[in-house]
Amino acid sequence: MDETDKKILNEIQSDFPISPRPYLDVGKRLGLSEQAVIEAVRRLKQRGIIRRIGGNFHSHRLNHVSTLCAAKVPEEKIEQFVEVVNGYAGVTHNYLRNNAYNIWFTFIAKDMDTIGEALGEIAVKTGIQDILNLPAKKMFKIKVDFEV
Amino acid sequence: MVDSIEKAVISHIQGDLSVQPRPFARMAQAVGITEEEFISRVRRLKEKGIIRRFGATLRHQEAGFSANAMVAWEIPEHEIDKTGRILSEHKSVSHCYYRAPQRDWPYSLYTMIHGSSRDECHRIAAQLSRAIDITEYALLFSEKEFKKTSMEYF
Repeated sequence: MDETDKKILNEIQSDFPISPRPYLDVGKRLGLSEQAVIEAVRRLKQRGIIRRIGGNFHSHRLNHVSTLCAAKVPEEKIEQFVEVVNGYAGVTHNYLRNNAYNIWFTFIAKDMDTIGEALGEIAVKTGIQDILNLPAKKMFKIKVDFEV
Repeated sequence: MVDSIEKAVISHIQGDLSVQPRPFARMAQAVGITEEEFISRVRRLKEKGIIRRFGATLRHQEAGFSANAMVAWEIPEHEIDKTGRILSEHKSVSHCYYRAPQRDWPYSLYTMIHGSSRDECHRIAAQLSRAIDITEYALLFSEKEFKKTSMEYF
């Protein structure tokens, strides 16, 4: 990544212009042409540095709830467990972590009952009983920009 | 809460914008409204706080943050507010949430921390531990990513 790439990234994480020609506007802020910005952004996407460009929502303001779940899964059952869990559209993130509770996933749905039912189904299908449902009771901080 | 046009707009911007000079024009056409209206709808969704953030999401590792960790802290219930605020003040903490402890999982405050290496994450966690005077914590690195997508609301 060169300095121009970094400037662009710092500019478009939360200040992406919602305007007819967003890349032209980013270019104006940084003294670059629209074409130069577009090419840089395409490259950053190809290289996997930018995952996506779009909206991120407050799920509860769209009448949805979200939670964090953790499960204790023996190594030989991880593959099957992950396949079942990832089959739910509301599961948006899923990671292996270094703990007895080794599988951590986030779940978004219309209401907590739907999530509770899904977790019940997952337990039945996989035989994994140790699944924690840890909805946030309070949010202290959520930082959106990462200076690169 | 949101009307049918807003739902259609959200269904387009919850994914990934194509990188071209007028990304909103094509989506507006698909929704059947003008580019101008599409843009003003997106702006309004942001003003109303339905859109929390509009822009590029990075893959932290590729962007040079080579390590991040979730740290779960065991905090007495009456200390949650005070401790949550102290943890949030730290620059290396990007997220801080309170989640009620459950079963054999005693932790209640969750922070995401970012560093240049795992060693640095260990140092940051130790530093935070001293700042809040809590020694019971779990440092959870992500060993593997099984899924990371954005939610499709509509």
